[in-house]
Amino acid sequence: MSDPVIRIRGLRKMYGPHTALDGVDLDIGSGGIGILGPNGSGKSTLFKCILGLIRITEGGGTVLGKDIVTMGPQIRSRIGYMAEYDSLDPGLTAVDHVRYAGELLGMRPDQATQRAHEVLQYVGLEDQRYRTIDSFSTGMRQATKLACAIVHDPEILFCDEPTNGLDTSARQFMLDTLRRTISDGGGTVIMTSHVMEDIQGVCERVVMLSGGKIVLEGRIDELARQITREIEISVWGKATKLEEWLLTRGHRVRRMGRIMRVEMNGDETIPAILLGASETNAQVRVLKEYEPDLEDIFLLIMQRLGKEAKGASAIIGGREE
Amino acid sequence: MIESDGAASLGEARIEAAYGSGDGDDDSSATVARPMQGKIFEQIYRPWNGPLGPRWVRNYAIYRHHVYGIVSGSGHRRYHPFVRLLLLVVILGSMTPILMLLLSTMVSDDATGFLNRMWGVNRYNLWGNVLGYFPRNLCMWPLLTALVVGGLISDDRRNGTSAIYFSRPVSRLDYAAMKWLSAASVLAIVILLTYMMYYSAAVVFKGEGWSFIADTIPIFIGGLFAGIFLVFTYTSIGIALSSISTSRFTASISFLGYILGSKLIAWLIEIQFNTTYVYMVSPYDCLAHVGQWLVGLPSNYDHPLALSVISLVAMNAASLAIFASRVASLEVTRE
Repeated sequence: MSDPVIRIRGLRKMYGPHTALDGVDLDIGSGGIGILGPNGSGKSTLFKCILGLIRITEGGGTVLGKDIVTMGPQIRSRIGYMAEYDSLDPGLTAVDHVRYAGELLGMRPDQATQRAHEVLQYVGLEDQRYRTIDSFSTGMRQATKLACAIVHDPEILFCDEPTNGLDTSARQFMLDTLRRTISDGGGTVIMTSHVMEDIQGVCERVVMLSGGKIVLEGRIDELARQITREIEISVWGKATKLEEWLLTRGHRVRRMGRIMRVEMNGDETIPAILLGASETNAQVRVLKEYEPDLEDIFLLIMQRLGKEAKGASAIIGGREE
Repeated sequence: MIESDGAASLGEARIEAAYGSGDGDDDSSATVARPMQGKIFEQIYRPWNGPLGPRWVRNYAIYRHHVYGIVSGSGHRRYHPFVRLLLLVVILGSMTPILMLLLSTMVSDDATGFLNRMWGVNRYNLWGNVLGYFPRNLCMWPLLTALVVGGLISDDRRNGTSAIYFSRPVSRLDYAAMKWLSAASVLAIVILLTYMMYYSAAVVFKGEGWSFIADTIPIFIGGLFAGIFLVFTYTSIGIALSSISTSRFTASISFLGYILGSKLIAWLIEIQFNTTYVYMVSPYDCLAHVGQWLVGLPSNYDHPLALSVISLVAMNAASLAIFASRVASLEVTRE
């Protein structure tokens, strides 16, 4: 990883007796980073701490070399934040809204106006920029929020659920835009999303939170490699019998209708599947090695975590006892 | 996407086409736009390295956004045309004494004449220009405050626009101070500026000398302070009510209900039980009581002035405390 732009050490945040973040250590470099976690895992609290918006109970850290405890305003002038929920004034036009967002960062009105036109062109709203926000679709609103966040060309861009409520084409455009922002802008994009495919499409690395702790951190491709490999089969007829046959012989099976994934156990797994199919008269029409994606990693980890967070090493690559 | 060179973007090409400003020796061929190459949108990330201004620049942006919106149709905070129309009506209405002063001058009304007694400069009229109940404090100032201040914070709560402030280097103190100041400025322009115009017009129209100014300036300043207290109090109460609501209508109607309702209840109790102590709950009456003392008028109230002062301080303190606490709870991220 390149030099970290965000360095957090022993970060602890308590709301009364409730621990929202519990000793978080985190280094984030440039590129795309996805923050994952179930509701209440501490993602938003982590964002607030990094933005310097709330008082930290214990620990600390730096963002772009600035202390998160004492230099919140300086940090916020160098980062962009795209909120998850609607945060636009419906009575303003897109260009006025983005211009105002720039002025709130300290831009001169003429600079902010010029920059508003540039970023609205970048997010695909060049022709719509004089329309008021209340006439915008969800996709256009999301694009306007993104334009507000990048109006000053921030070094770090925080995107909270950037594809929320978007249709397929708008979602694809948003993801393309974020990818381009990383590649052309050269900065860091930190995004949260409940759609793992979106995170995988934009980010190289992922940080997973649960119960206020980091339970997983690393490159997505490396994490996927650490997951136990599976054979995916498509079964027509007698699928339940085949599943039972495999389970009784000690194989681990995940089934979704006619699709079954059987945990790979050396070279014996494929012959065992074929033997099982032969004995149960099940038709195996497709048999291939399954490539796990981020969603598999997330589901597997959440399944293995149960309610209690453990160390990442105990989760990835190890069998649950 | 069609690329444009510097000349075209500066309009030189169009000037050339319209007026033939070239030397005539150029190649006599028409310049036509290049056809589209099948690409209608080219996404280009443009970096920006400009300077960002200090804290006062950001604060002034907030202030300007809210104040300019009153007079500007676009580009700043949007005020409903009805609000802007009402503002104009209130300004014109509060300037009517100036017209009457002009009329008084034109008809050679002397110092004891009817027009001069009704609209000339004296203790009662200076007090009445700011604190007179009808029409100013029944119809004009409360309605103006309700419409200007009502949506100031409640709109941010409803639309989630507080995020655009707090995700940027704007502190909650700056946000609250600039919102309060912009609302107070609008009220001050209407209430205090017209008051000052009235006094200046009286001096100019009547051709008054230094002795008149020396005699009346303490009364004028007393009235000015009463106006400042009124602007401060109405803004604080209005913005506190706006901060606890997500609807500008609720905030506005609550403000009107409080200002006019407390006065009405106190008046009903006064005529029933012959006591003025309940006027302490009415912001208008507390201000009027203090204002009467400031301009040297006999008091209409039986209770001591100190109680009205204490009540005013308590109202302002409570309003600002509510406002501060609600601004502190505004969210940037949402679970």
